[in-house]
Amino acid sequence: MNKYREIAKIYMKAQLVWRADVIFNMVFTIAKIIFAYLIWSIIFEAKSRVGEFTFFGMMSYYIVNSFLSQLEMSPRISNEINQRIRNGTFSKYMIVPVNVEGYFAAMEAGIVLFYFIFDLIAAAVWILIFRIQFVFTRDLLTIVCAVLMILIGLVFMVQLNFFLGLLTLKYQGIGTFLMIKDNLVSLVTGSIIPLALFPELVVRIMKFLPFYYVTYLPSMLLTGYNQSEALYGVGIILIWAIAMQGIIKLTWKQYIRKYDGVGI
Amino acid sequence: MAQKWRKMTNIVETKDITKIYKRYKKKDGLKGSIAGLWKREYEEKAAVRQMNLTIEEGEFIGLIGPNGAGKTTLIKMLTGIIAPTSGEINVLGFYPNDMKNAYKKQYAVVMGQKSQLFFELTVNDTLRLFKEIYEIKEEEFQKNKAYFSRLFEVEELMNVQVRTLSLGERMKMELIVALLHNPKILFLDEPTIGLDAIASKQIRKFLREVNEERGTTILLTSHYMEDIKALCDRSVVINHGLLIYDGKTKDLFDKYQLSKRITAVFDHPVAELKLKKDGVDVILEGEYKKIYNVQKDMTKAVLAEIMQYEPDDISIEEEEIGAVVERIYREGSAVYE
Ligand SMILES: Nc1ncnc2c1ncn2[C@@H]1O[C@H](COP(=O)(O)OP(=O)(O)OP(=O)(O)O)[C@@H](O)[C@H]1O
Ligand SMILES: [Mg+2]
Repeated sequence: MNKYREIAKIYMKAQLVWRADVIFNMVFTIAKIIFAYLIWSIIFEAKSRVGEFTFFGMMSYYIVNSFLSQLEMSPRISNEINQRIRNGTFSKYMIVPVNVEGYFAAMEAGIVLFYFIFDLIAAAVWILIFRIQFVFTRDLLTIVCAVLMILIGLVFMVQLNFFLGLLTLKYQGIGTFLMIKDNLVSLVTGSIIPLALFPELVVRIMKFLPFYYVTYLPSMLLTGYNQSEALYGVGIILIWAIAMQGIIKLTWKQYIRKYDGVGI
Repeated sequence: MAQKWRKMTNIVETKDITKIYKRYKKKDGLKGSIAGLWKREYEEKAAVRQMNLTIEEGEFIGLIGPNGAGKTTLIKMLTGIIAPTSGEINVLGFYPNDMKNAYKKQYAVVMGQKSQLFFELTVNDTLRLFKEIYEIKEEEFQKNKAYFSRLFEVEELMNVQVRTLSLGERMKMELIVALLHNPKILFLDEPTIGLDAIASKQIRKFLREVNEERGTTILLTSHYMEDIKALCDRSVVINHGLLIYDGKTKDLFDKYQLSKRITAVFDHPVAELKLKKDGVDVILEGEYKKIYNVQKDMTKAVLAEIMQYEPDDISIEEEEIGAVVERIYREGSAVYE
């Protein structure tokens, strides 16, 4: 286990070097909140409720959601794998005595932990500045479920991106796969519009997808909505993660033999 | 895979290994590209063919051959990065492509153009990581780190950002990272590529010491004949994926390396040298710089003659591998021992 802790640590350290990235990440979080603030204050001028949201409820949802989606940084995994397989340097991960998926998971954990702190500060500052009456659930079970869901959800995203990266071994260009995934994710995670505002049927379909449980449902739970889905949600995302691990195991075994380490 | 034919002293054994790459062959032009969307033609390329190679523990062996000969492919198979298309491989009792951690802990590979270092961080950071990855005890880690950084004289560079290091310094660091876990066998693919004479020399000294003091078996590929001559008792020459020579390095060069290249630089204009000898090919005849290809047994005489013109600088280089390979072919007699 020590190896994976050290991997997480070294990537955390590496983040510190890119101070500009850290600042951009914070600015981005903040910009999203300001943008949401402006739009929703216009909408809420005419009425006091949209769907089941009050203005502050909506803002709280936005802050939690943008905070969580900012933490979801796994696309760098598929990009890294894709690039390295294509230029023949993926062997870097194959020659050291570690589990490659574990390596990427640890790397992600290190980076996420690092940004967690900064994004937390950003979110707190904005709650204060905009004087948002932050809405947060007080139900312990809901909080536990939401945290579990977030953790399993982040693991699932690592798995998914690892899997998509591996597809490079067979398809070379995985751009299309990534695009489909990205669009699905931004739609289903509700980072554009809260899913509660979608038609009933659409939402019901989305509930079968893992992305629903990655940032959307936890954000809703933490801000006090959808309590009834809490336990059920943990189950669903857990099933996805387990299934994904099976798929990865099969894919790895079959595809890694296709690696021919092009170049020098 | 059970491979019972392994003898104890042999650290590497391959039996008829062959690697055939498949690559997608694109037809010319846009039309060809579009046609390739649904019907792809693959071209097969045999990069290594029916190769038998054994390496004994403690050997320092040179792998030479012109570009595209299959050297890197062979190393990739020995390290398990790729699987051979057919044939058997046994390294330290493992089939490399099984990619067992137990095997990975016993070898190291350094490829001239690939890096294990974190460029934003320091070498110490990377070493820390490798200490954990290879599960090296703290005491041994400190000992090895001190030993290697002293040997390479890079103690004061251990704490600077890797991306600020020069190519030569970086290569030394790659070697330190690779050797930190005391591998039994070290594969080196062009470790001196792009390095200047001093850095290459330091690396040679370092590798010799690692081989002699630590008993590390080393397989080295290099395009610089200097490297091979200085380090490897035994050489393996491959060309077009075939092993064409396997024997003593000394014999290889005595027998097949027939000429040397002499470069003389003058600080005063010198008219055409009247070298009255057969076996001297003029490559360049300038007023200030002259280059000759000289048959090995003539070098002394030619040098003596050049010295009369008081050259400012003079260098003697080994003949490049291409010429040697060509000659092995002409003679048609690969030496097997
Ligand atoms: N991934 C690949 N797909 C298809 N062909 C390949 C691939 N890698 C190498 N080859 C071909 O196999 C042959 C051997 O390549 P290899 O890299 O082993 O040569 P090398 O001896 O290391 O050459 P160099 O001295 O240039 O490094 C070359 O002809 C090369 O074009
Ligand atoms: Mg090569």
